[in-house]
Amino acid sequence: MTAVAAKPAAGGAMNPTAMVVGLVLLVIILGICWKVSPGLGLMALIGMVVGGVLIGFGTHFVPVGGAPAAMGQAPGIATGVAMLAAGAGLAGLFGGAWAAEQGLVVAVVTGAIGGGLMMAITCMMVNFIYVFGMGIPAASGKVKVDPITGDTQPEFKSQGTEGHGLPFVSFVGGVIGGILAGGGGTLIYLMLLDLYKATLPTLMKATEAQIMPVAISAAGIFAVGMFLVNAVLTAYNITGTIEGPHDPKFKRWPRAVVASAVASALCGLAAILIVVV
Amino acid sequence: MTVKIEVIAGGIPHTKIMVGGIIASLVCLYLSYLNVVTGTEMFSFFGGLAVVAALIWGSNTIKVLCSYGIGTGVPSAGMIAFGSGVIAMLLATKFGIAAPIVTLVLAAVVGLILGYLSNEVLNMKIPAMVQSLTELAVVGAFTLMGFAVLMTGGFTFAALTAGSVTIMGLSLPSYQVSFIGGSLIATAFMLGALAVQHPFNACLGPGWTQDRMLMLAAECGFLSMFVAAIMSFALITTGSALISLVVALVGWGYTYMQYIGLSKRDAASWLDAKPIPDVEGH
Repeated sequence: MTAVAAKPAAGGAMNPTAMVVGLVLLVIILGICWKVSPGLGLMALIGMVVGGVLIGFGTHFVPVGGAPAAMGQAPGIATGVAMLAAGAGLAGLFGGAWAAEQGLVVAVVTGAIGGGLMMAITCMMVNFIYVFGMGIPAASGKVKVDPITGDTQPEFKSQGTEGHGLPFVSFVGGVIGGILAGGGGTLIYLMLLDLYKATLPTLMKATEAQIMPVAISAAGIFAVGMFLVNAVLTAYNITGTIEGPHDPKFKRWPRAVVASAVASALCGLAAILIVVV
Repeated sequence: MTVKIEVIAGGIPHTKIMVGGIIASLVCLYLSYLNVVTGTEMFSFFGGLAVVAALIWGSNTIKVLCSYGIGTGVPSAGMIAFGSGVIAMLLATKFGIAAPIVTLVLAAVVGLILGYLSNEVLNMKIPAMVQSLTELAVVGAFTLMGFAVLMTGGFTFAALTAGSVTIMGLSLPSYQVSFIGGSLIATAFMLGALAVQHPFNACLGPGWTQDRMLMLAAECGFLSMFVAAIMSFALITTGSALISLVVALVGWGYTYMQYIGLSKRDAASWLDAKPIPDVEGH
Protein backbone atom coordinates (compact mmCIF):
# COMPACT_ATOMS: atom_id res chain seq x y z
CA MET A 1 0.00 0.00 0.00
CA THR A 2 1.38 3.41 -0.86
CA ALA A 3 1.94 6.12 1.66
CA VAL A 4 -0.63 8.33 -0.03
CA ALA A 5 -3.38 5.73 0.20
CA ALA A 6 -2.56 4.89 3.80
CA LYS A 7 -3.30 8.37 5.11
CA PRO A 8 -5.64 8.26 8.09
CA ALA A 9 -9.21 9.30 7.38
CA ALA A 10 -9.54 11.44 10.49
CA GLY A 11 -12.15 13.50 8.68
CA GLY A 12 -13.40 16.96 9.37
CA ALA A 13 -16.12 15.88 11.80
CA MET A 14 -16.15 17.46 15.25
CA ASN A 15 -16.68 15.51 18.43
CA PRO A 16 -18.95 17.82 20.50
CA THR A 17 -18.60 15.82 23.74
CA ALA A 18 -14.82 15.87 23.54
CA MET A 19 -14.83 19.61 22.76
CA VAL A 20 -16.91 20.28 25.89
CA VAL A 21 -14.67 18.02 27.98
CA GLY A 22 -11.68 19.96 26.61
CA LEU A 23 -13.21 23.31 27.56
CA VAL A 24 -14.10 22.03 31.04
CA LEU A 25 -10.48 20.84 31.44
CA LEU A 26 -9.30 24.32 30.42
CA VAL A 27 -11.53 25.96 33.06
CA ILE A 28 -10.34 23.47 35.72
CA ILE A 29 -6.67 24.19 34.93
CA LEU A 30 -7.28 27.95 35.01
CA GLY A 31 -9.07 27.44 38.34
CA ILE A 32 -6.12 25.53 39.82
CA CYS A 33 -3.82 28.32 38.68
CA TRP A 34 -6.12 30.97 40.21
CA LYS A 35 -6.03 28.99 43.47
CA VAL A 36 -2.23 28.71 43.72
CA SER A 37 -1.22 32.06 42.21
CA PRO A 38 -4.14 34.44 41.63
CA GLY A 39 -2.21 37.47 40.35
CA LEU A 40 1.04 36.96 38.47
CA GLY A 41 0.58 33.24 37.75
CA LEU A 42 -2.92 33.52 36.28
CA MET A 43 -1.94 36.43 34.05
CA ALA A 44 1.08 34.46 32.80
CA LEU A 45 -1.07 31.39 32.16
CA ILE A 46 -3.65 33.38 30.18
CA GLY A 47 -0.83 34.85 28.10
CA MET A 48 0.53 31.35 27.47
CA VAL A 49 -2.89 30.03 26.42
CA VAL A 50 -3.24 32.93 23.95
CA GLY A 51 0.27 32.20 22.64
CA GLY A 52 -0.47 28.49 22.29
CA VAL A 53 -3.71 29.16 20.43
CA LEU A 54 -1.87 31.55 18.08
CA ILE A 55 0.66 28.77 17.33
CA GLY A 56 -2.05 26.16 16.80
CA PHE A 57 -4.14 28.46 14.57
CA GLY A 58 -1.12 29.83 12.71
CA THR A 59 0.18 26.39 11.77
CA HIS A 60 -3.02 25.84 9.72
CA PHE A 61 -1.91 28.58 7.31
CA VAL A 62 1.47 27.02 6.61
CA PRO A 63 1.56 24.93 3.40
CA VAL A 64 2.93 21.65 4.74
CA GLY A 65 3.54 19.24 1.89
CA GLY A 66 5.29 16.31 3.51
CA ALA A 67 6.77 13.42 1.55
CA PRO A 68 4.33 13.69 -1.45
CA ALA A 69 5.49 17.30 -1.99
CA ALA A 70 9.11 16.18 -2.04
CA MET A 71 8.19 13.92 -4.97
CA GLY A 72 6.34 16.77 -6.70
CA GLN A 73 2.94 15.07 -6.24
CA ALA A 74 1.33 17.54 -3.84
CA PRO A 75 1.66 21.29 -3.25
CA GLY A 76 3.46 22.74 -0.26
CA ILE A 77 6.82 22.83 1.46
CA ALA A 78 8.39 19.41 1.23
CA THR A 79 8.72 18.56 4.92
CA GLY A 80 6.64 17.83 8.01
CA VAL A 81 5.09 20.22 10.51
CA ALA A 82 7.60 19.34 13.23
CA MET A 83 10.52 20.43 11.03
CA LEU A 84 8.76 23.59 9.78
CA ALA A 85 7.81 24.57 13.31
CA ALA A 86 11.32 23.99 14.59
CA GLY A 87 12.77 25.99 11.68
CA ALA A 88 10.43 28.90 11.11
CA GLY A 89 8.61 29.22 14.42
CA LEU A 90 11.66 28.98 16.60
CA ALA A 91 13.42 31.53 14.37
CA GLY A 92 10.63 33.91 15.35
CA LEU A 93 10.91 32.97 19.00
CA PHE A 94 14.62 33.66 19.06
CA GLY A 95 14.09 36.94 17.22
CA GLY A 96 11.54 38.00 19.79
CA ALA A 97 13.78 36.90 22.65
CA TRP A 98 16.46 39.36 21.49
CA ALA A 99 13.94 42.19 21.83
CA ALA A 100 12.60 41.03 25.22
CA GLU A 101 14.00 44.08 26.99
CA GLN A 102 12.09 46.49 24.75
CA GLY A 103 8.69 45.65 26.20
CA LEU A 104 5.91 43.23 25.38
CA VAL A 105 4.53 44.78 22.20
CA VAL A 106 7.88 45.39 20.49
CA ALA A 107 9.11 41.91 21.38
CA VAL A 108 5.98 40.12 20.16
CA VAL A 109 5.97 42.11 16.91
CA THR A 110 9.68 41.35 16.44
CA GLY A 111 8.98 37.65 17.01
CA ALA A 112 6.11 37.75 14.52
CA ILE A 113 8.27 39.47 11.90
CA GLY A 114 11.07 36.97 12.52
CA GLY A 115 8.72 34.02 11.98
CA GLY A 116 7.08 35.61 8.93
CA LEU A 117 10.42 36.50 7.35
CA MET A 118 11.76 32.99 7.86
CA MET A 119 8.65 31.50 6.26
CA ALA A 120 8.85 33.97 3.35
CA ILE A 121 12.46 32.96 2.67
CA THR A 122 11.59 29.28 3.03
CA CYS A 123 8.61 29.55 0.65
CA MET A 124 10.65 31.48 -1.92
CA MET A 125 13.54 29.03 -1.90
CA VAL A 126 11.11 26.08 -2.07
CA ASN A 127 9.49 27.55 -5.19
CA PHE A 128 12.92 28.34 -6.61
CA ILE A 129 13.91 24.69 -6.27
CA TYR A 130 10.55 23.44 -7.59
CA VAL A 131 10.61 25.63 -10.68
CA PHE A 132 14.30 25.69 -11.60
CA GLY A 133 15.46 22.46 -9.95
CA MET A 134 12.62 20.04 -10.55
CA GLY A 135 11.05 21.83 -13.51
CA ILE A 136 7.47 21.85 -12.26
CA PRO A 137 5.03 24.80 -12.26
CA ALA A 138 3.05 25.85 -9.19
CA ALA A 139 -0.52 24.56 -9.27
CA SER A 140 -3.05 23.99 -6.54
CA GLY A 141 -5.09 20.79 -6.56
CA LYS A 142 -7.80 21.99 -4.20
CA VAL A 143 -9.16 25.13 -5.92
CA LYS A 144 -9.95 26.07 -9.55
CA VAL A 145 -8.56 29.62 -9.30
CA ASP A 146 -6.08 31.15 -6.92
CA PRO A 147 -8.24 33.12 -4.41
CA ILE A 148 -5.78 36.04 -4.37
CA THR A 149 -4.41 36.41 -7.91
CA GLY A 150 -7.32 34.79 -9.78
CA ASP A 151 -4.94 32.64 -11.86
CA THR A 152 -6.48 29.41 -13.11
CA GLN A 153 -4.91 26.25 -11.74
CA PRO A 154 -6.11 22.99 -13.44
CA GLU A 155 -4.25 23.67 -16.74
CA PHE A 156 -0.92 23.49 -14.94
CA LYS A 157 -1.70 20.47 -12.81
CA SER A 158 -0.12 17.20 -13.92
CA GLN A 159 -2.37 14.16 -14.20
CA GLY A 160 -2.33 11.85 -11.21
CA THR A 161 -1.07 14.46 -8.79
CA GLU A 162 -2.84 16.59 -6.21
CA GLY A 163 -1.12 19.66 -7.62
CA HIS A 164 2.49 20.68 -7.10
CA GLY A 165 4.78 23.60 -6.37
CA LEU A 166 3.76 26.49 -4.17
CA PRO A 167 0.90 28.67 -5.54
CA PHE A 168 0.75 32.33 -4.49
CA VAL A 169 -2.05 31.79 -1.97
CA SER A 170 0.04 29.12 -0.21
CA PHE A 171 3.00 31.52 -0.10
CA VAL A 172 0.83 34.20 1.55
CA GLY A 173 -0.59 31.58 3.92
CA GLY A 174 2.91 30.52 4.90
CA VAL A 175 3.89 34.08 5.76
CA ILE A 176 0.70 34.64 7.81
CA GLY A 177 1.30 31.35 9.61
CA GLY A 178 4.89 32.30 10.39
CA ILE A 179 3.74 35.67 11.76
CA LEU A 180 1.10 34.12 14.03
CA ALA A 181 3.29 31.25 15.24
CA GLY A 182 6.37 33.43 15.77
CA GLY A 183 4.33 35.97 17.75
CA GLY A 184 2.65 33.24 19.79
CA GLY A 185 5.94 31.55 20.67
CA THR A 186 7.44 34.88 21.72
CA LEU A 187 4.40 35.64 23.89
CA ILE A 188 4.83 32.33 25.78
CA TYR A 189 8.53 33.05 26.29
CA LEU A 190 7.93 36.61 27.56
CA MET A 191 5.19 35.52 29.98
CA LEU A 192 7.44 32.86 31.52
CA LEU A 193 10.47 35.16 31.60
CA ASP A 194 8.57 37.87 33.51
CA LEU A 195 7.21 35.29 35.95
CA TYR A 196 10.63 33.72 36.57
CA LYS A 197 12.34 37.10 36.90
CA ALA A 198 9.85 38.05 39.60
CA THR A 199 9.82 34.79 41.57
CA LEU A 200 13.19 33.05 41.16
CA PRO A 201 15.30 35.55 43.22
CA THR A 202 13.35 34.82 46.43
CA LEU A 203 13.11 31.11 45.63
CA MET A 204 16.85 30.69 45.06
CA LYS A 205 17.97 33.41 47.50
CA ALA A 206 20.03 35.26 44.90
CA THR A 207 19.92 38.60 43.12
CA GLU A 208 18.00 39.06 39.87
CA ALA A 209 21.24 39.48 37.90
CA GLN A 210 22.52 36.14 39.22
CA ILE A 211 19.41 34.13 38.31
CA MET A 212 18.94 35.70 34.86
CA PRO A 213 20.69 32.83 33.02
CA VAL A 214 18.42 30.30 34.76
CA ALA A 215 15.29 32.39 34.11
CA ILE A 216 16.10 32.89 30.41
CA SER A 217 17.09 29.28 29.81
CA ALA A 218 14.13 27.79 31.69
CA ALA A 219 11.66 30.13 29.96
CA GLY A 220 13.29 29.33 26.61
CA ILE A 221 13.16 25.56 26.96
CA PHE A 222 9.54 25.71 28.18
CA ALA A 223 8.61 27.89 25.21
CA VAL A 224 10.31 25.44 22.84
CA GLY A 225 8.54 22.50 24.49
CA MET A 226 5.12 24.15 24.34
CA PHE A 227 5.77 25.29 20.77
CA LEU A 228 6.49 21.73 19.64
CA VAL A 229 3.52 20.26 21.54
CA ASN A 230 1.15 22.78 19.90
CA ALA A 231 2.68 22.33 16.46
CA VAL A 232 2.48 18.53 16.57
CA LEU A 233 -1.13 18.60 17.86
CA THR A 234 -2.00 20.83 14.90
CA ALA A 235 -0.18 18.43 12.61
CA TYR A 236 -2.40 15.65 13.93
CA ASN A 237 -5.44 17.84 13.23
CA ILE A 238 -4.55 18.33 9.57
CA THR A 239 -3.27 14.72 9.31
CA GLY A 240 0.14 15.84 8.20
CA THR A 241 -0.44 17.93 5.09
CA ILE A 242 -2.36 21.07 4.13
CA GLU A 243 -2.16 23.45 1.17
CA GLY A 244 -2.85 26.69 3.00
CA PRO A 245 -5.86 28.81 3.98
CA HIS A 246 -7.83 27.75 0.86
CA ASP A 247 -7.59 24.04 1.69
CA PRO A 248 -10.86 22.41 2.90
CA LYS A 249 -8.88 21.00 5.84
CA PHE A 250 -8.44 24.58 7.07
CA LYS A 251 -12.04 24.47 8.32
CA ARG A 252 -10.93 22.07 11.04
CA TRP A 253 -9.24 24.88 12.97
CA PRO A 254 -11.77 25.05 15.88
CA ARG A 255 -10.66 21.58 17.00
CA ALA A 256 -7.02 22.62 17.04
CA VAL A 257 -7.79 25.85 18.90
CA VAL A 258 -9.49 23.91 21.72
CA ALA A 259 -6.72 21.28 21.82
CA SER A 260 -3.97 23.93 21.78
CA ALA A 261 -5.64 25.96 24.52
CA VAL A 262 -5.93 22.93 26.82
CA ALA A 263 -2.42 21.67 26.05
CA SER A 264 -0.89 25.13 26.58
CA ALA A 265 -2.80 25.60 29.82
CA LEU A 266 -1.62 22.20 31.06
CA CYS A 267 2.04 22.78 30.16
CA GLY A 268 1.86 26.38 31.38
CA LEU A 269 0.46 25.28 34.74
CA ALA A 270 3.42 22.92 35.18
CA ALA A 271 5.80 25.77 34.30
CA ILE A 272 4.12 28.05 36.87
CA LEU A 273 4.01 25.39 39.61
CA ILE A 274 7.82 25.18 39.52
CA VAL A 275 8.15 28.63 41.02
CA VAL A 276 5.01 29.00 43.18
CA VAL A 277 4.92 25.66 45.06
CA MET B 1 -11.14 4.67 10.35
CA THR B 2 -7.42 4.27 9.99
CA VAL B 3 -5.43 1.89 7.90
CA LYS B 4 -2.73 -0.05 9.57
CA ILE B 5 0.20 -0.19 7.17
CA GLU B 6 2.45 -2.61 9.00
CA VAL B 7 1.88 -5.58 11.21
CA ILE B 8 3.48 -5.87 14.60
CA ALA B 9 4.57 -9.47 14.51
CA GLY B 10 7.39 -11.35 16.12
CA GLY B 11 9.96 -10.14 18.58
CA ILE B 12 9.50 -9.20 22.22
CA PRO B 13 5.96 -8.04 23.15
CA HIS B 14 5.64 -4.31 23.68
CA THR B 15 4.37 -4.62 27.28
CA LYS B 16 7.53 -6.48 28.25
CA ILE B 17 9.74 -3.75 26.76
CA MET B 18 7.67 -1.05 28.45
CA VAL B 19 7.92 -2.63 31.92
CA GLY B 20 11.62 -3.31 31.39
CA GLY B 21 12.19 0.27 30.23
CA ILE B 22 10.42 1.82 33.24
CA ILE B 23 12.20 -0.41 35.78
CA ALA B 24 15.65 -0.08 34.19
CA SER B 25 15.38 3.73 33.90
CA LEU B 26 14.12 4.15 37.46
CA VAL B 27 16.77 1.83 38.92
CA CYS B 28 19.55 3.59 37.00
CA LEU B 29 18.31 7.04 38.05
CA TYR B 30 18.17 5.94 41.68
CA LEU B 31 21.60 4.25 41.47
CA SER B 32 22.97 7.70 40.61
CA TYR B 33 21.86 8.72 44.11
CA LEU B 34 25.00 6.86 45.26
CA ASN B 35 26.67 10.18 44.34
CA VAL B 36 25.00 11.80 47.33
CA VAL B 37 25.50 8.79 49.62
CA THR B 38 29.22 8.46 48.89
CA GLY B 39 29.86 12.18 48.38
CA THR B 40 31.41 11.72 44.92
CA GLU B 41 30.27 12.23 41.32
CA MET B 42 31.57 8.86 40.10
CA PHE B 43 28.13 7.33 39.62
CA SER B 44 26.87 9.98 37.18
CA PHE B 45 27.22 7.51 34.30
CA PHE B 46 24.11 5.70 35.56
CA GLY B 47 22.18 8.66 34.16
CA GLY B 48 23.47 7.76 30.70
CA LEU B 49 22.41 4.14 31.16
CA ALA B 50 18.92 5.38 32.13
CA VAL B 51 18.89 7.34 28.87
CA VAL B 52 19.73 4.20 26.87
CA ALA B 53 17.02 2.16 28.61
CA ALA B 54 14.40 4.86 28.08
CA LEU B 55 15.36 5.31 24.41
CA ILE B 56 15.08 1.57 23.67
CA TRP B 57 11.60 1.57 25.18
CA GLY B 58 10.71 4.82 23.39
CA SER B 59 11.73 3.60 19.95
CA ASN B 60 9.49 0.56 20.32
CA THR B 61 6.61 2.82 21.42
CA ILE B 62 7.13 4.96 18.32
CA LYS B 63 7.00 1.76 16.27
CA VAL B 64 3.61 0.92 17.81
CA LEU B 65 2.25 4.45 17.25
CA CYS B 66 3.63 5.04 13.77
CA SER B 67 2.51 1.64 12.46
CA TYR B 68 -0.80 3.43 12.06
CA GLY B 69 -0.44 5.98 9.28
CA ILE B 70 -0.61 9.12 11.38
CA GLY B 71 0.48 11.14 8.37
CA THR B 72 2.78 13.52 10.21
CA GLY B 73 6.04 11.64 9.90
CA VAL B 74 7.98 9.78 12.55
CA PRO B 75 10.05 12.80 13.81
CA SER B 76 6.91 14.56 15.07
CA ALA B 77 6.44 11.75 17.61
CA GLY B 78 9.93 12.40 19.00
CA MET B 79 9.23 16.13 19.19
CA ILE B 80 5.95 15.82 21.11
CA ALA B 81 7.58 13.25 23.42
CA PHE B 82 10.25 15.71 24.48
CA GLY B 83 8.02 18.78 24.38
CA SER B 84 5.74 17.23 26.97
CA GLY B 85 8.57 15.40 28.75
CA VAL B 86 10.68 18.50 29.46
CA ILE B 87 7.76 20.20 31.19
CA ALA B 88 6.99 17.24 33.47
CA MET B 89 10.65 16.58 34.20
CA LEU B 90 11.46 20.17 35.25
CA LEU B 91 8.50 20.32 37.61
CA ALA B 92 9.43 16.93 39.09
CA THR B 93 12.97 18.05 39.96
CA LYS B 94 11.41 20.17 42.73
CA PHE B 95 10.53 17.01 44.69
CA GLY B 96 14.05 16.07 45.83
CA ILE B 97 14.76 12.36 46.23
CA ALA B 98 11.29 11.43 44.93
CA ALA B 99 11.98 13.19 41.61
CA PRO B 100 12.23 10.10 39.33
CA ILE B 101 8.96 8.64 40.64
CA VAL B 102 7.23 12.03 40.42
CA THR B 103 8.57 12.39 36.85
CA LEU B 104 6.92 9.09 35.95
CA VAL B 105 3.55 10.16 37.39
CA LEU B 106 3.58 13.77 36.11
CA ALA B 107 4.72 12.85 32.60
CA ALA B 108 2.08 10.12 32.45
CA VAL B 109 -0.63 12.65 33.41
CA VAL B 110 0.56 15.20 30.83
CA GLY B 111 0.85 12.49 28.16
CA LEU B 112 -2.58 11.07 29.00
CA ILE B 113 -4.26 14.46 28.55
CA LEU B 114 -2.36 15.11 25.30
CA GLY B 115 -3.37 11.65 24.10
CA TYR B 116 -7.02 12.36 24.91
CA LEU B 117 -6.81 15.70 23.09
CA SER B 118 -5.37 14.12 19.94
CA ASN B 119 -7.66 11.12 19.91
CA GLU B 120 -10.98 12.71 20.87
CA VAL B 121 -10.82 16.49 20.35
CA LEU B 122 -8.74 16.23 17.17
CA ASN B 123 -10.68 13.10 16.19
CA MET B 124 -7.66 10.96 15.29
CA LYS B 125 -9.34 7.74 16.49
CA ILE B 126 -6.15 5.70 16.62
CA PRO B 127 -6.37 2.83 19.14
CA ALA B 128 -2.76 3.10 20.32
CA MET B 129 -2.73 6.92 20.53
CA VAL B 130 -3.48 7.56 24.21
CA GLN B 131 -1.18 4.86 25.54
CA SER B 132 1.62 5.77 23.13
CA LEU B 133 1.59 9.50 23.90
CA THR B 134 1.52 8.69 27.64
CA GLU B 135 4.53 6.40 27.25
CA LEU B 136 6.37 8.88 25.03
CA ALA B 137 5.98 11.70 27.55
CA VAL B 138 7.51 9.44 30.22
CA VAL B 139 10.31 8.43 27.83
CA GLY B 140 11.06 12.09 27.10
CA ALA B 141 11.07 13.01 30.79
CA PHE B 142 13.26 10.05 31.79
CA THR B 143 15.73 10.73 28.98
CA LEU B 144 16.09 14.38 29.97
CA MET B 145 16.47 13.46 33.62
CA GLY B 146 19.09 10.90 32.66
CA PHE B 147 21.04 13.52 30.73
CA ALA B 148 20.72 15.90 33.69
CA VAL B 149 22.16 13.26 36.03
CA LEU B 150 24.93 12.45 33.57
CA MET B 151 25.97 16.09 33.24
CA THR B 152 25.49 17.37 36.80
CA GLY B 153 25.51 14.28 39.02
CA GLY B 154 22.12 15.03 40.58
CA PHE B 155 18.45 15.29 39.71
CA THR B 156 17.20 17.97 42.11
CA PHE B 157 16.27 21.50 41.03
CA ALA B 158 19.16 22.91 43.08
CA ALA B 159 21.70 20.60 41.40
CA LEU B 160 20.42 21.55 37.93
CA THR B 161 20.48 25.32 38.46
CA ALA B 162 23.55 25.99 40.62
CA GLY B 163 27.19 25.44 39.69
CA SER B 164 30.44 26.96 40.78
CA VAL B 165 33.38 28.63 39.07
CA THR B 166 36.89 28.65 40.46
CA ILE B 167 38.66 31.97 40.06
CA MET B 168 42.23 32.07 41.39
CA GLY B 169 41.63 29.16 43.77
CA LEU B 170 38.40 30.68 45.06
CA SER B 171 35.19 28.71 44.44
CA LEU B 172 32.30 31.07 43.74
CA PRO B 173 28.66 30.09 43.17
CA SER B 174 27.53 30.65 39.61
CA TYR B 175 24.12 29.96 38.12
CA GLN B 176 25.47 30.24 34.61
CA VAL B 177 27.60 27.11 34.95
CA SER B 178 24.71 24.72 35.37
CA PHE B 179 22.47 22.35 33.40
CA ILE B 180 19.61 24.84 33.07
CA GLY B 181 21.48 28.14 33.42
CA GLY B 182 23.97 27.15 30.73
CA SER B 183 21.17 25.93 28.44
CA LEU B 184 22.72 22.46 28.29
CA ILE B 185 19.10 21.31 28.64
CA ALA B 186 18.43 22.54 25.09
CA THR B 187 21.21 20.33 23.73
CA ALA B 188 19.96 17.40 25.81
CA PHE B 189 16.47 18.03 24.41
CA MET B 190 17.59 17.71 20.80
CA LEU B 191 20.06 14.85 21.48
CA GLY B 192 17.22 12.86 22.99
CA ALA B 193 14.52 13.87 20.50
CA LEU B 194 16.68 12.80 17.55
CA ALA B 195 17.82 9.59 19.24
CA VAL B 196 14.28 8.46 20.05
CA GLN B 197 12.80 8.99 16.58
CA HIS B 198 15.76 7.91 14.47
CA PRO B 199 15.74 4.11 15.05
CA PHE B 200 12.24 3.50 13.69
CA ASN B 201 12.63 6.16 11.02
CA ALA B 202 15.77 4.40 9.77
CA CYS B 203 14.58 0.80 10.10
CA LEU B 204 10.93 1.04 8.97
CA GLY B 205 9.76 -0.77 5.88
CA PRO B 206 8.96 -4.32 4.82
CA GLY B 207 12.31 -5.60 6.12
CA TRP B 208 11.78 -4.23 9.63
CA THR B 209 13.09 -6.45 12.41
CA GLN B 210 12.69 -5.60 16.05
CA ASP B 211 16.11 -6.63 17.33
CA ARG B 212 17.85 -4.51 14.68
CA MET B 213 15.76 -1.43 15.52
CA LEU B 214 16.31 -1.83 19.27
CA MET B 215 20.04 -2.30 18.74
CA LEU B 216 20.09 0.93 16.72
CA ALA B 217 18.19 2.64 19.56
CA ALA B 218 20.85 1.50 22.02
CA GLU B 219 23.56 2.70 19.64
CA CYS B 220 21.88 6.12 19.31
CA GLY B 221 21.56 6.25 23.10
CA PHE B 222 25.25 5.56 23.69
CA LEU B 223 26.23 8.04 20.97
CA SER B 224 24.12 10.76 22.64
CA MET B 225 25.60 9.73 25.98
CA PHE B 226 29.08 10.20 24.51
CA VAL B 227 28.28 13.80 23.49
CA ALA B 228 26.64 14.49 26.85
CA ALA B 229 29.65 13.00 28.68
CA ILE B 230 31.92 15.46 26.87
CA MET B 231 29.68 18.32 28.03
CA SER B 232 29.76 16.96 31.58
CA PHE B 233 33.47 17.87 31.85
CA ALA B 234 32.30 21.45 32.46
CA LEU B 235 30.11 20.57 35.44
CA ILE B 236 31.52 17.51 37.26
CA THR B 237 35.03 16.36 38.20
CA THR B 238 37.28 15.22 35.37
CA GLY B 239 37.62 11.68 36.74
CA SER B 240 33.85 11.17 36.92
CA ALA B 241 33.33 12.60 33.45
CA LEU B 242 36.06 10.24 32.14
CA ILE B 243 34.18 7.25 33.59
CA SER B 244 31.01 8.35 31.73
CA LEU B 245 33.02 8.87 28.56
CA VAL B 246 34.59 5.40 28.71
CA VAL B 247 31.24 3.72 29.48
CA ALA B 248 29.66 5.57 26.53
CA LEU B 249 32.52 4.67 24.16
CA VAL B 250 32.54 0.98 25.11
CA GLY B 251 28.73 0.80 24.89
CA TRP B 252 28.66 2.59 21.56
CA GLY B 253 31.43 0.44 20.08
CA TYR B 254 29.70 -2.79 21.13
CA THR B 255 26.20 -1.78 19.96
CA TYR B 256 27.57 -0.38 16.69
CA MET B 257 29.33 -3.65 15.85
CA GLN B 258 26.18 -5.57 16.80
CA TYR B 259 24.03 -3.29 14.65
CA ILE B 260 26.30 -3.71 11.63
CA GLY B 261 26.14 -7.47 12.18
CA LEU B 262 22.33 -7.41 12.31
CA SER B 263 22.19 -5.20 9.21
CA LYS B 264 24.36 -7.71 7.33
CA ARG B 265 22.07 -10.49 8.53
CA ASP B 266 18.93 -8.72 7.28
CA ALA B 267 20.43 -7.48 4.00
CA ALA B 268 19.75 -9.41 0.80
CA SER B 269 23.43 -9.37 -0.01
CA TRP B 270 26.51 -7.55 1.21
CA LEU B 271 29.42 -6.13 -0.78
CA ASP B 272 32.24 -4.36 1.00
CA ALA B 273 32.80 -1.66 -1.64
CA LYS B 274 35.77 -0.03 0.13
CA PRO B 275 35.09 3.71 -0.35
CA ILE B 276 38.81 4.53 -0.02
CA PRO B 277 40.70 2.36 -2.52
CA ASP B 278 43.99 0.79 -1.48
CA VAL B 279 46.58 2.42 -3.77
CA GLU B 280 49.74 0.91 -2.33
CA GLY B 281 49.87 -1.93 -4.85
CA HIS B 282 50.12 0.41 -7.85
